[in-house]
Amino acid sequence: MGLGLVESGKMPKSLIKLLNVSRSYSVWVYQWGLACCAIEMGAAFGAPRYDVMRLGVIPLPASPRQADLVVISGTVTDKMAPVIRRLWEQMPDPKYVISMGSCANCGGPYWDSYSVTKGVDQIIPVDVYVPGCPPRPEALLEGIVILQDRIKNEDPSKRWVGEPIVVE
Amino acid sequence: MTSVTDRQKLQYIAAQAADARVNVELETEGMTLNLGPQHPATHGTLRIIAQLDGEQVVHAEPVAGYMHRGYEKLTEVRTYPQITTLINRIDWLGSFANEVPFILAAEQLMEVEAPERAMWIRTILFELSRISNLILFLGDMGVQLGAVTPVFFAFRDREFVLDQIEAATGGRFHPNFDRIGGLRDDLPKGWLESTKGSMDKVRDFCDQIEDLLLGSEIFQTRTRGIGIVPTDVAMQYGLSGPNARASGIDWDVRRDNCIGLAYPELDWKVWTHTDGDSFARFWVRIQEVREAAKMVDQLCDGLPAGPVMAKVPRIIKVPAGEAYVATENPLGEMGYYIVSEGDLTPFRVKIRSASFSNMSITPWLLRGVYVPDIITILGSLYFILGDIDR
Amino acid sequence: MTNDAPAAEATESEEVAVDEPREARLAMISESLGDMLVDSHIAVGRDIWVRVSTDAWGEVADVVRNRLGLRYFGFLSVIDWMPSPYGRSMDSEVDIVLADAASSDDAAEEAPDTGFTRGVTGGETRFQAFARVSHVGDPGDFWGLTIKADIPDDTLAIDTWTNAYAGADWHEREAWEMFGIRFTGHPGLRNIYLPTDFEGNPMRKDFPLLARMVKPWPGIVDVEPLPATDDGAEEGDQ
Repeated sequence: MGLGLVESGKMPKSLIKLLNVSRSYSVWVYQWGLACCAIEMGAAFGAPRYDVMRLGVIPLPASPRQADLVVISGTVTDKMAPVIRRLWEQMPDPKYVISMGSCANCGGPYWDSYSVTKGVDQIIPVDVYVPGCPPRPEALLEGIVILQDRIKNEDPSKRWVGEPIVVE
Repeated sequence: MTSVTDRQKLQYIAAQAADARVNVELETEGMTLNLGPQHPATHGTLRIIAQLDGEQVVHAEPVAGYMHRGYEKLTEVRTYPQITTLINRIDWLGSFANEVPFILAAEQLMEVEAPERAMWIRTILFELSRISNLILFLGDMGVQLGAVTPVFFAFRDREFVLDQIEAATGGRFHPNFDRIGGLRDDLPKGWLESTKGSMDKVRDFCDQIEDLLLGSEIFQTRTRGIGIVPTDVAMQYGLSGPNARASGIDWDVRRDNCIGLAYPELDWKVWTHTDGDSFARFWVRIQEVREAAKMVDQLCDGLPAGPVMAKVPRIIKVPAGEAYVATENPLGEMGYYIVSEGDLTPFRVKIRSASFSNMSITPWLLRGVYVPDIITILGSLYFILGDIDR
Repeated sequence: MTNDAPAAEATESEEVAVDEPREARLAMISESLGDMLVDSHIAVGRDIWVRVSTDAWGEVADVVRNRLGLRYFGFLSVIDWMPSPYGRSMDSEVDIVLADAASSDDAAEEAPDTGFTRGVTGGETRFQAFARVSHVGDPGDFWGLTIKADIPDDTLAIDTWTNAYAGADWHEREAWEMFGIRFTGHPGLRNIYLPTDFEGNPMRKDFPLLARMVKPWPGIVDVEPLPATDDGAEEGDQ
């Protein structure tokens, strides 16, 4: 129903705004934990001290097909890369990707390794990069907040246009 | 996936299901079940391909390597101080513990010895890493059995330990605090008292987990008598750490072959269990967390004064030779076999990581178990992917 | 019976200190191994190494496990003794500085020769297999042993240990994948870490790390002068 209208770009502005606000506060995030960062992501999503749900982010979808956002946290190896690509393809539009940690951003300490993919953005488009090795849970939360800002201000019909944002 | 919409298809599926029920009673066809590489029960990116006969596993084949980062090759092109940064990330839950055996092996080759205070602080941080690692296991074991609450408790109480590690080293996760010849820095003021305070929280957590899980009937039925590892098999596969002690092997590197750490001066006990099943492995780990908390208390009380760094050359050049030093890491025996040719970089570093050996038993262990037990057995063997794949 | 390899100058105190328990153990080992033993080495107060002949490698596992009671399997791997043709692949400025400083620090030491060295127990071939097994007895009764053997350069094959130690399975698969060494009698040598279409054996010394060929060690960024203060004025102090 609405989705066709959204994609056509003919939706009234006020409706788009409402839709965006609603989307930004009900982000279902799939946890793609790969390495050390997975534990910090677990701390951000599971630990009472950080408590991601207060941001309107639900970290418990059962499969990527129910998720809006995926957090790639950890080292992506050449053996893992096709699996990540397939996971991303399975997610329904609109989909967002946060690349967490140096390894997923650029290879990190394994920049010269023979088996590590230097940056997950070689495989899938990334919306927000969270640097750190591993980033603190707070950094991931900030990355999510930045993503939510982006969702609020975007035009859903052109959601893939734009440069990735970097958290500092 | 094809969408199932029409009646005909539904009927077909119902007929298939009925056939399957008959098959279970008579004779079943084999089925291949693929777990992972991304599966909540695999702690990361391990993939298990299990061939099933009905509900029973005929053959299970773990596929590792989704996290292989090539540590052994990378150490050959990095200087010794650079390597500690890297090897922190092997077993990412107990990262300080990864540094210690490497530094000790390098010190052995250089014939340098860290001052006593440095040895004691190393031991404290070593045990704190063990606690932060095993606490997460204790919580996670609940998740494997469908109890979600313990893992939230684990993340909550683990933060208190991480706070202490961060206060001393500056890093929550990867301290990189160990240096050849000692430590980077001394402890901050007031650290010992707050550490002892956090140990009380750890003990409370152990009691809580014991109340929540250990006594639970569901937990007992799901773990007792499941995944039994006999002593001899455990030795052959090189199981170490709590996994070996749960199989009745009374052996702990900390007690039997302690190099360069303060364990001989402490009063503590090596817990073993004779059953060798999933329950025993869980039980031994709870006791280990308690012992570790006890040790940290003693270490904080008896910490000797003095410098934390020995005299070492500014540029670390390790003389030619070979050394193997292993320590009792949270997951088991972790050792580094360093071959040096007197260069800035090691010639070859063989990393003997605990999880690699602990997991190599799975094809043997999973044969004949039921599908839901795969999860408890893997959970109780407790591996960290970085430690398997390196 | 104990002839220490010439490469073992790391422990100069050997003449003075004698490690009696380890000497006794080595005597026991060499008695059991008989003429399978080629060479041995004791680092005083630390460890024992033995080198056995290539043909006996499989049998040694059996003897060591069943007759000597070293039932705990530590690890098994391979060393490539060829010096790396690429050096350390660290030839950026900062590394050259480091290397110069290091060599001037202890100029008294002889320059490292470029030929093959083969560790504490010597050897003839490029590849050597080595394994670590331990004796785990009563509390306190624990000691380990490193066993090495040459791998023939022409066949690049050696016997498997899986018959004696079932745990050698994965370790041998890893060694096969990383070094291209075949273990005769192994039940299934297939990739364990790398994708099946990976080319080459990454742990061989002549396997290049391509990222390092393309780009120097990025750590050099740390010693670059900051854009604002590049004119030597503050170079002396921190």
